[in-house]
Amino acid sequence: MQGLSDLVHAWASFMDPMTLLYGLGGAFVGIVMGILPGLSATLAIALLTTLTIKLQPHQAILVLICSYVGALYGGSRTAILLNIPGTAANAASCADGYALAKQGKAGYAIGIATSGAFVSTLIGVVCLALFTPMLAEVALSFGAFEFFWLALFGVTMSGSIVGNDPLKGWLMGLMGLLLAQVGQESLYAYNRFTFDWDELAGGIALIPALVGAFGLAEVLTTLADPVERKIIEMRDSVLPRWREIVVYRWTVLRSGIIGVFTGLLPGVGEDAGAWMSYAAAKAASKEPEKFGKGSIDGLMAAETGDMSSIPGHIIPSLALGIPGSAPSAVLMAAMIIHGVQPGPMLMIQNPHFVYQVVAMTTLASIAILFFGLFGVRPLLHVLRVPRNILMPIVFVLCTVGAFATASRLFDVYVMLFIGVLAFFLRRRGYEMAPLVLGLVLGPLLDKSLRRALVLSDGSLAPFFTRPISMAFAAVTIFTILLYVPAFRAQVQRGKSAAFAGVRALFGRRA
Amino acid sequence: MAEAIEQDGAHDDRDAPKPPRSDLKDAAFWVVLGVVTLVGSLTMERLEHQNINPYTVPGLLPGLLAIAMILLGGVLALRSWRRGAATQPLPPASPGLREERKRIAVVAALCCGYGLVLVGHGIPFWLASTIYVTGSILVLRRLSRDAAERRLNARAWIMALVIGLSSSLVIHLVFQEVFLVRMP
Repeated sequence: MQGLSDLVHAWASFMDPMTLLYGLGGAFVGIVMGILPGLSATLAIALLTTLTIKLQPHQAILVLICSYVGALYGGSRTAILLNIPGTAANAASCADGYALAKQGKAGYAIGIATSGAFVSTLIGVVCLALFTPMLAEVALSFGAFEFFWLALFGVTMSGSIVGNDPLKGWLMGLMGLLLAQVGQESLYAYNRFTFDWDELAGGIALIPALVGAFGLAEVLTTLADPVERKIIEMRDSVLPRWREIVVYRWTVLRSGIIGVFTGLLPGVGEDAGAWMSYAAAKAASKEPEKFGKGSIDGLMAAETGDMSSIPGHIIPSLALGIPGSAPSAVLMAAMIIHGVQPGPMLMIQNPHFVYQVVAMTTLASIAILFFGLFGVRPLLHVLRVPRNILMPIVFVLCTVGAFATASRLFDVYVMLFIGVLAFFLRRRGYEMAPLVLGLVLGPLLDKSLRRALVLSDGSLAPFFTRPISMAFAAVTIFTILLYVPAFRAQVQRGKSAAFAGVRALFGRRA
Repeated sequence: MAEAIEQDGAHDDRDAPKPPRSDLKDAAFWVVLGVVTLVGSLTMERLEHQNINPYTVPGLLPGLLAIAMILLGGVLALRSWRRGAATQPLPPASPGLREERKRIAVVAALCCGYGLVLVGHGIPFWLASTIYVTGSILVLRRLSRDAAERRLNARAWIMALVIGLSSSLVIHLVFQEVFLVRMP
């Protein structure tokens, strides 16, 4: 009951025209960034963090959440019209969305994306309101041992799932964790790897690093390609399609729930929600052969899966202080900048904030519906701006974004260094999401490991014997061992034997 | 013509597996980085004069991360070796790839020139940004495959200057005057 009252208060606190305008502005910037191929939700939030630094915390975080939801929603347009995912999360929408566009149904596909995005974000919002307090309560029993494994689990999962090569994903996670060790450590204020360079004592700041990895690297990637792609012309109506929501209600509900649950896993990313929902819809469909050739079911599943994973990713960020994806990592960093410390203590120290985030995410879904109704065609003009003009302007914004948080030129140099490094690493098949997770979770991993060793007087046993630690350790080690061919073959054999046993059991009963 | 462009285009398929020799070079980088970090961690001060708990020495986690990096780098080397890194040379650079490399070098130079030289060294931000945006638009036009676009006539210069100046001023005013953000 207290939660419901907090939620009503949170809603009421956002009902002033200026705050609503900020929300619409955030969604607008997010949609534009999402539409532009390569510019991601992470970059949108990072740049807006600097722009909103002087706003009231609740207004600033509203802008960021609206831009997060807007970017993922905007990315679907590029997937449909250009066959390039606007953000990584929209990759699953490319096949069916682009196929529909080629059949002359681009507007119809965008309408489906709008209605699916709106409904699935609301499904996610309900889960956010229900699960965050529950998870935070469980997390209160977590100690240094559990947080050590949770941080390691996040980086390992991110490395395994994002991209095609877990080995490269883990190496990027390690690099992120290592970069996070640069600067003054938290226990004794000792300068690690600073080489007597005062600027490095503050460490590698997250926002400049992310602006480099997702901004400059993308500017280089976009401008490196000698060929500029052209968008498909759109002639049919782009209005949201509510009838399809009713027709494909089970797909929407299933994908919404899958999205939220994949979002709960630390470090997995929004694209996992989309792909898993897509695979589940294909498995459940009566017409799986149409998937990839313009299936409405497929497009609906992909769009609802990625959008509902946004509230899903916010849940562990708020309740555990462990972000679910790269954009939620920046969102978490922005919350800290604005004086809100996410983690298990949040429900005790600042319980109203969780419900404010619920209200913000609901507002964000209404904002994307607003732009889905009135702004689709005008906003698509941004795709007609030649990249030769757009990308230099984006880089100017990146430079301001890197500089503005701390007003240090050093951060601009960090952005340049990380950006160029990220560009070359991406070309060699290394993904950035594990690096981001490593950067965010590095300090927590370091602090938890050393505190835990002090508590256990150097014994490693509690890392494996405390119940929650044991569970996290088992999943983390299992995920890593799956890469060993002999172990993977054993698991496959075990899985086949188990399925055969279940089939035989049901066969006898029938 | 469009087909020819597609074939010659150096679209980098990021999902395609990388050549084994390229992975072998990466493995060497990771192992070297791991070894350097490990040496740095082992030689890091252990703060014994502060009587700290020996399990909390600052170099503990970096050292463990370095060991993991060396191990994973080793696995990457072994995998690339098994996939034929020693026998399969890297494919020669196609004309498309050479063009792409040239574009990368030019764009990286423009960005680094702006970030390292123009910004924060006395030139007002709006002017530094105008020079960068205008210069980039003109240079990128010169790199275009389209002969008409490559031509830099007076109209192209004016257009680039107007876009550079207006975008720089808008960014400067919005950030500094509306949102009170300090500019470099």
